[in-house]
Amino acid sequence: MAELELVPVRTRILTDKDNIVDMIEKYAKHDVGPDDVVSVAESVVAITQGRITRPEDLKVCFLARLLCRFVPQEGSLSSCYGMQSAMDTEGQWRIFFAMMIGMLAKIVGKSGVFYQMAGGQTALVDDVTGTMPPFDKCLVYGPHDPHGVAEEIKSRLGCYGAAVADVNDLKRSAVLGVSEGLDPKKLARILIDNPFGNASQRTPIVIIKNYANAEKMAKDQA
Amino acid sequence: MEFLMILVLLVVIVLIAVWLFIARQGDAEFEFIIDQRTDFILEDLTDKTATLSCKVPFVNKGTQGGTIMDAYPRHLLPYEQYDGVEVSSRMELSTAPRTDNYFEAVIIPQGTGGTVVITVKFTAKAGGIQEALGQMSELNVDMPIDIVYQIVARSLWYIHKKRMIMTCDEIMRAMQAKGAAK
Repeated sequence: MAELELVPVRTRILTDKDNIVDMIEKYAKHDVGPDDVVSVAESVVAITQGRITRPEDLKVCFLARLLCRFVPQEGSLSSCYGMQSAMDTEGQWRIFFAMMIGMLAKIVGKSGVFYQMAGGQTALVDDVTGTMPPFDKCLVYGPHDPHGVAEEIKSRLGCYGAAVADVNDLKRSAVLGVSEGLDPKKLARILIDNPFGNASQRTPIVIIKNYANAEKMAKDQA
Repeated sequence: MEFLMILVLLVVIVLIAVWLFIARQGDAEFEFIIDQRTDFILEDLTDKTATLSCKVPFVNKGTQGGTIMDAYPRHLLPYEQYDGVEVSSRMELSTAPRTDNYFEAVIIPQGTGGTVVITVKFTAKAGGIQEALGQMSELNVDMPIDIVYQIVARSLWYIHKKRMIMTCDEIMRAMQAKGAAK
C-alpha cells in the first residue's frame, strides 16, 4: 500500500551561514527513503543563499516610489522597498513597462499580465514581516537556481526527487524548481495545504513519503 | 506645433492625475495614544528589584496599512537626577508577549490598532528597592520614557518618538497597591 504522507521536518532557524543541502542532510536524512520526494521552502533556500536585504540598505529610486502606489497594499511590491527589490533583480525599466502593459491589460479585463512580464523574481519578493524573526525586518528575494538546488538535494540524499516550493496559507502553491522527472504542478497540488506551516522557517523541509510508489500505482491504474 | 502642444497637455494631465491619485491614496499614520495608557502596576517585587508594567494603545489612523518594523521604550533617568537605581525596559505587543526585548515586525491595517505592554524594571544600586524608590519619590523624580517606533508603509521608512512620563507618584501608587510602600 503506497499512500502519500507529508512529514514536516523541524530545524533550527537557518541563516546565510548555512548550506541548505547540508542542513537537509543533517535534519532529514534519517527519515528520507528512496521513494520519497524532499521539498524545501523557497524563502529558506533564499535566506541560506544570502538573498536578503534590509529596507535601510536599499537606495529607493523615484520610479519605485511611484509604481508601488499602483500595487494593492496586500502585495509585497506595495511598499517602495518591495518595488525597489524587484527592480534591483529584474531591472527598473522592465518593471516599468510591465506595469504599464499590466494596467492596460487590466482595463480590458485581463489580470496577471504584470507578473507574467515583470520576470520570475518579481512575484517571489517577500516584504518585511514575510518571514519569521530574525528575518521579519528583511526583504527576502526568490532563491537562485532552484532547479540546481533540487538536483543537489536529490543527489546528496539519494531520494526519488526534490523540489523547492513557494506555498502559503492562502492556498497558493507553486513549485519553483524540481529535480529531473518530477511534475511541478502535481507537487504544487500535493503541497497546497501548506504542510510547512505558517512559520515555515521552523519546518522548512517537508518529506513527501512514498511518492514514487504512489506515482507508479497511479500510472498502473491509468 | 499643435501636435506638440497636445502632447505636452496630455503629459501634464497624466502627471496631475497621478499626483491626485497618490494624494488621495494617502499613507499609514501611526499614533501611540499616551492619554489612554493604563497606570503602571507592580508585576514583581524582590528585595533588590521592582518590575512594573503598563499598557499603551496605538492606532493606524492613516488611509493605508503600515508595518511597525521595530519599536522599543527608551527610558531616561540620568544619574545627575537620581543615582539610586538601575533601569531596564522592554516593550512587546499585548497579543504576542515575549521576554527577549525583540519586537517582531507587524502589519497594522488602516483604521485598526493594538496595544503594547511596556515593562520597566528598577534594580537598587545599594540597599533595598523599596528604600531606593521611596527616595526617588522624596526627590520628586519623574522618569520620561520615549516610545521609539520605526514605520514602513508606502513611503520611505521613518522613526518617530512619543513621550510618556512615569511619575514617581505613579510608582508609589503601584507599590502601595501591592502593599509594598506606605
